[in-house]
Order: sequence, then structure tokens, then C-alpha cells
Amino acid sequence: MDALIVIFLTGLIGLFVGMLKKPYLNLLVTMLGLVLAFFLQLNNGFYTSPLSSYQVLEFNISQLYFSLVAIAFCMLIVLGGFNYFKRDSIHIGDYYGLLLFSLCGAICLIGFTDLFMFFLGLEILSIPIYVMVGIKKQDVLSAEASIKYFFTGAFATAILLFGIALLYGATGSFNLIEIRGAIQAGEYQATFLFIGILFILGAFLFKVGAVPFHFWGPDVYQGSPEIVTAFMATVVKLAALMAFYKLFNGTFQELGHFWIGALYFAIGLSLFVGYLGALKQTKFKRLLAYSSISNTGYALFALLSLSNSSLGSLWIFLVGYGCATIALLTISMAIHNDNDEISSFKGIGYKNPFIGFIMIISLLSLAGIPPLTGFFGKFALLMNAYSQHLYLVILALISSAVGAFLYLRLMVLSLSKDTEAESVSISIWHYIVLGVCASGILGAWLIVAI
Amino acid sequence: MELLILPLVIGLISLILPSNWSKLIGGVGAIASLALACVHLSGFDPLTQTILASSNKMAFGLTFNFGYDAFGLVMVMLTNAIIPIILLSNWNRELANNKLFTALVFFMQVGLLGLFTAQDGMLFYIFWEFTLIPIFLILYWFGAKENNKVLFKFFLYTLIGSLGMLLALIALGSSANSFAYADLKNVQLTQEVACWIMSGFLLAFAIKIPLFPFHTWQPATYTSSPMAGTMLLSALMLKMALFGMIKWMLPLTSEGIEIMKWPVIILGTIGIVYGAIIAIKQNDIKTLFAFASISHLGLIAAGIMLFNTAAWSGAVIQIINHSLISIGLFLAADILEKRTGTRQLSELGGIAKLAPRFGFWFAVTVFAALSIPFSAGFIGEFILIKELFTFHSIIGILAATSLILGAVYMLRSYQLSMFGTPKISAFEDLSWNEMAVFIILSLLILGIGLFSSLIIEYTEPTFRILTETLTSNQQIIE
Repeated sequence: MDALIVIFLTGLIGLFVGMLKKPYLNLLVTMLGLVLAFFLQLNNGFYTSPLSSYQVLEFNISQLYFSLVAIAFCMLIVLGGFNYFKRDSIHIGDYYGLLLFSLCGAICLIGFTDLFMFFLGLEILSIPIYVMVGIKKQDVLSAEASIKYFFTGAFATAILLFGIALLYGATGSFNLIEIRGAIQAGEYQATFLFIGILFILGAFLFKVGAVPFHFWGPDVYQGSPEIVTAFMATVVKLAALMAFYKLFNGTFQELGHFWIGALYFAIGLSLFVGYLGALKQTKFKRLLAYSSISNTGYALFALLSLSNSSLGSLWIFLVGYGCATIALLTISMAIHNDNDEISSFKGIGYKNPFIGFIMIISLLSLAGIPPLTGFFGKFALLMNAYSQHLYLVILALISSAVGAFLYLRLMVLSLSKDTEAESVSISIWHYIVLGVCASGILGAWLIVAI
Repeated sequence: MELLILPLVIGLISLILPSNWSKLIGGVGAIASLALACVHLSGFDPLTQTILASSNKMAFGLTFNFGYDAFGLVMVMLTNAIIPIILLSNWNRELANNKLFTALVFFMQVGLLGLFTAQDGMLFYIFWEFTLIPIFLILYWFGAKENNKVLFKFFLYTLIGSLGMLLALIALGSSANSFAYADLKNVQLTQEVACWIMSGFLLAFAIKIPLFPFHTWQPATYTSSPMAGTMLLSALMLKMALFGMIKWMLPLTSEGIEIMKWPVIILGTIGIVYGAIIAIKQNDIKTLFAFASISHLGLIAAGIMLFNTAAWSGAVIQIINHSLISIGLFLAADILEKRTGTRQLSELGGIAKLAPRFGFWFAVTVFAALSIPFSAGFIGEFILIKELFTFHSIIGILAATSLILGAVYMLRSYQLSMFGTPKISAFEDLSWNEMAVFIILSLLILGIGLFSSLIIEYTEPTFRILTETLTSNQQIIE
């Protein structure tokens, strides 16, 4: 809770600091705020927050872990995007402010106990992103992405609101615990409740970008700057999946027989649509967008367990996925891949051993090769689902072979030996970001394992 | 644990230091790890097991258990003995001075040693997959140009196979609620489930061995990879699958053996005959040896599925023998290719006159590959064929044809390349390191041929323990 306020105030202060047009000062303020928030969140149990009586947001241990990762990802994105934002130093305060406000929304989404707070969080998360997607004002693609994302997003929000209203009508409460109590006691209006759940499910599938509501993904990812893509692919996805998990696996757990069929359908399609769609792409961010669809499919396996046991698996999976995605997008920024072609990665890894190493581990981690974090995430998720959903697990393994081909092709391209690729100079910020991502990919699974 | 850490450290050191050091580091490191393995060998009692590291159960049911029994130790010795030989045979090649290459070889060694000492299903899988990364990079960076298609086939083929194994391990692990070897072994399965799980394992192993009809990745991969890569693949990587069959697949899923042994033995037998017949018609000498390898390994795989101590003893001898022979053969093939610029048998000839030393040592290797008496192959193939014959006479007879067909293709390759009228004017004779490799290999093959009982007796107690699961299961069924 305190962390949320710190982040919000930092964003606000950042807006004013931005008027001084001193990018380094802005970076300093933002990072200080994020680090402070990180440690406040880390020490959450060790001191009594003056706001502890506020019931609408609640952070137990797993929510804490998720919010820590969200803040850490945001720090990486702030650092990694510094060079990009510095070019446009008039607006750097706005950029960082929007990022931080969006992060506030993400933390609300992770910690909500009430559908009202949930909706607020979702909107706080989304609205800054609508702006940031369209931040390249001269770029047609960016404008297209922004409009597309805004309209489809607004539509999804409307459906979500409708779902929440129906849910309220059916159970008479916004509070998750009370809703669950009503469901357990059987005191609900079945028709309203079921339609409401389906609407919420649809809105969620839209937010996390799963099939059949994935169409916005590739265009929006392609149109937005790398840094915003990274934010959408990691922080937004993490927060939305956590909320999804909490609402469906916690509150609607007893109705699992009802919504799990729809989820089955969404997972099975996501696994293949993503990777198969990615095979033919020539633009790097589009490729990542498609691969993120499939990865969402994997992450949704956590919901199938209908218990709290798979939260750790979801966490480790998202950490692995997030680190790899941020690393790849940072590399794309570091090599000044402004036209976003996959072919401009050719030979980069061989000429620059550091980039090559990061490419290898992040792509192999996405492909699920041990002993990297991505493997343990997938493995833990599939392990949880194995006993009840054998066929879906087999489908997931097959799709991961397709994915391996995809990532391997990119890896081979970047490691290619005979080319005129130039060695690029990497800025200190990118070194830090890539180093942190690499240690996350190599070592994050140890946190869970030990 | 120092067994695994040493090669890792050597690999990292050779990455850091400049390339002109890598020969030295490679040589010293390989000898050091061989010496370390010898220390382990001297302090080991074949009736017991050694635990290198152990831990409590961690998240995902993973444990951090390493250790070896006599069979594991034999494989560790084999790995640590083969790596120096590979580096030695590579000594005056361009690659020896490449720090990346040296590092990758040692990372490969880490993966192999981890695999042979893993006492936990997930660790086994992790190392199984881990070995794929260094070998892929070796083949990609140092192999023939324009080999992307071949490499993708190799990588994806093996990856899909290991996904089958992952599924099998998840199935076993979720019913045992742990991945520790002892727990996995204790799981009681019905015959049907055991068959499914065994098929999962087999998908991985059959592709890696490779069994007929999963072999299609192999010949192209062998021919397009650098010499050291081919040696690593055929001498060590394929042995991972055979090791996995004996140590993991069969004891864990022994309930399904009665059904599953038929397809594997039949496929193995087909592979023996098929590989040999294809090899006879080959013109490319590396492809010829690749198919010969399919033929040899089919015999071992079929023998392993018999699930008895005697056949496994033969399999161990033959595993070691095949590693040594394949290094000799691929070295010879590479010498021919490097010095004449071609691998086609039709363009070679008369080299024995130009290079008498090479002619002699190539002949020694060819005869070892023919399994003449006093060579290790004789003992290994004899035991395996005898056991297959006891199992089923027709399969035994078919397996025995490998001896005759083997003589045909091996002697043909030797005759076409070494005898006849010289088609080339000059051929540089063996350099000292190639000579040394051939001498070491021949001595080892001869030594194992003469003293094979040492290895058989050494591994026998372990095999008895591993095969006990079968007998105990049969008692339960009865």
C-alpha cells in the first residue's frame, strides 16, 4: 500500500522535474522512487503500515512476490528505455510519469480484494498505455496501434463492466470473499452469474491477449516503441494474469466445471495460433507479439489447477518469460533496429559475444531448454496440470516444439558467422539491464527451488 | 562434485583467455579430468554406490542428488578418456586454436558427466537437454557452411524426442511425488501405463541412438559437422541414450518390458541389416561410417532390451568399443578428406603406397571394427549375438549377419581408398598426434579385448541390482 503511494508520488514529482529538461535528474528521481517502493514492498511484513487498516488492497506473500517482480520489471524498462527517451528530453517526464501511473494500476490489480478496486486498477493500468502506444506522433503505425488498442480496449472494458454489474446483480456484493461465500452457499441467481462470469472471462482473455481475443496484439506491439512493447508484454501481462488467477481460481473456484471448458478452448488455440502465426513474420516485434500469445497460453495453465498450488509456478514462468522478453527488446534497442526487421539481427550475436550470450540464453529460455528459468516455469505449470489435463499437456509439448523451431531460427540468425554485421557499442544502461535479465534467466528458478 | 565442476571451470577459463592458450588449457584440462576420474575409480568398490551430492526434496519435487554405481563410473571414465583423445586427434587442426571450440567441448563434458552421475529424474533430463546446446553450437559454428537445414533437423528431432521423455518423467514423478531415482524406481505401474511411459522414454532414446526408422537426421549431420563434432556425437552423445535405457528406462518401467521389448528388438534388428546394406552401397566415406554406426548401435539397443545381466555386459563392452572405433574411423575419414579434398571413395585409391603408416593404422582400425578375435568388439558382439540367439533364433541369425555385412562394407571402404592405382600424386603421412591417437585406440581395443572380464565383473553387481526390479515385478505378477 505504501509502495503504491510512493510510486504515484514519484510519478507526480517526475512530471514537474521533467520541466527542467534534465533527463538524468528524471531518471534518478524515477529510479529512487522505484527502489524505495521495492524495499517498502519487500519489508511489508516487518513494520506496521499507517495505512494497514485499508481493506481494499491486501498483499499476502504471493501478491508481494508478484508486485516485487512488477516493480523490478518496471525498473529494468525505465533503465533500458533511457537512451530512447533521452532523444526526446522535453517529454521524458511525461514518459516516466505515465509508466509509473500504469505501474500503480498494475499493483492495484495484483492486490485487489474488491471488484471496484479491480476495475479502477485495470483502468489506471490501461489508460496510460493507450497514450504511450501512440507516443511516436509522426509514425502512422504508432497512431494506428494507439487507436486500435484504445477502441478494442474500451470495448473490452465495457464488457467487463457489464460482467461486473451482472455479478453484482447475481450475488449482491463487490467483495471477493462475499461473492465466494454466496457461490459456496448457493445463494445466487444462476443466469446472471454465469453470463457475468463469461463476460469477465472474455474481457480478461482480451487483456492478456489470448485467442480468440488476440487480434490487437501484433499490430499494437509493432506500432509502439520497444519500451512500451516491453511494458505491455511483461508488467501488464503479469498483473492481468495475477488478477485473472485470483478472480477465477480463487473466487469462482467452485464454478470451475462451468468456465474451464471455455478456458480449455482458449488455451489450446493460443498455444498454436501464436507460434504458427509467428513462423511467417519478418518484423521482430510482431514475432514477439505472436510468441507472447503462445506464452499466455502456457501461463493460463495455472488456472486449470483450481487451487492455490500453481501460483508459484505462474510466478516463475512469468519471471522467465519477462526477463527473456525484456532482454530481447533491449537488444533490439541496443542495435538500433529502428526498422524492426528480423534480418537486422543477422550476425549480431557472433560479432558481439555479450549480446550473443544473452540472445542464446533468452531464446533458449523461451524455448524451454533446461536449466534456464523458462524451462522450470513451463515444467512446473505442466506438472500441475498433468494429472487432470493430460491431453492439453501433450498439446503444450507439441506446441513447444514448434516454438523451439521459431526461437532457434532467430538464434541461428543472430549467431551467423559470415556477415558484415558491425560490432555495436552498448551503453552502460543496457549492460545493466541485460546483466540483470541474464541473472534472472539463469538463476531465478533457484529462488523457488530452494 | 569436483568431477563436474572441473570441466566447467576449464571451459570458463578457456573462454576468458586468448585463443592461443586454448590448446594448452584443453590439453591440461582434459588430462586433469581424466586423472580425477582415475582417482574416483581407484577409490570405488563395485559392490557399492558412491554419493557425490545429495539434498532434500525441493520445489517441483526436484532433488539435487548426484552419485554413481559401477556402470555410471564406467561411463564417466569413458567420457573423461574420450575427451582427451578427441582433443589429441584435433591437435594440429585449425579448431584446436579456437577458444570457443575448446570451451564448448568442456561444457559438453560437463553435460555428459552430469547425465551419467544424475540420481534424479529431472537432473537427468536437464543434462540430457543441456548437452544439446554445446553440440549444436559446435556443429553450427565450425561445421560445413550451408548446413542450417541439417542442423535444424538434428536439433528439432532430438528436442521432440526429449519432450516425450519429459512427459514420461512427469507421469512417473507426479505419481511418485518426487524425482529422486529411488522414489521413481519404487513406483508401481500397471502394464499399460508402463508401456506408455516406456514409449515416452523410447522416443527420446530411439532418436538419439538412432534406431531405424528414427535415424534420418544422422548421416547428414555426421557429414556436415567438423571432425571433433562427429566424434563427440558418435562416441559420447549416442551413448547417453544407451546409458539411459539401462539405468533409467528399463528399471523404472520394467512392468512393460514384456510388450515393449518386441518392437525395439525388431527395429534394432532391422537397423542392423538395413544400416549394413546401405553402408555397402555408399560412396561417401563419412556417410558409410554413419550407416555402419546405425548397424552397430542397433545391435546394442536390441541386446539391452533383453534385460538380463549377460546381455548388458556385452552391451557395455560394445558401448566402449564403439566409442573407440568410431573415433578411429572418423579420424581416418577426416584425414582422407583433409588431404585429398574429397570423401568420395571413387575418387580415392592407392593411398597405402603413398602413406604406409596411415595404411597400416587405418587397417588396424578397420579390423577392430570387424570385431576380429582379440579385439574388444569380438567379445561384445559375441555376447550380444549369443544372447539374441537364445532369445529368438531368427533374430540371432539376422543379427549375426552384421559380422559378414560389416566385413563387406569395411573392407570395401578400405580397399577402394587404400589399394588400387593411385589417383592422387601426393599424400602426407600421419603426423605424430594422429599416430598417437591410433596407437592409443588400438592398445585400448586390444586391452579390453583381452581383459574384458575385468569390465564384465566390475559392472556385474550393478546390473544384478538393476535387473532385480524385473524379477521382483514378475514375482508380484505371479
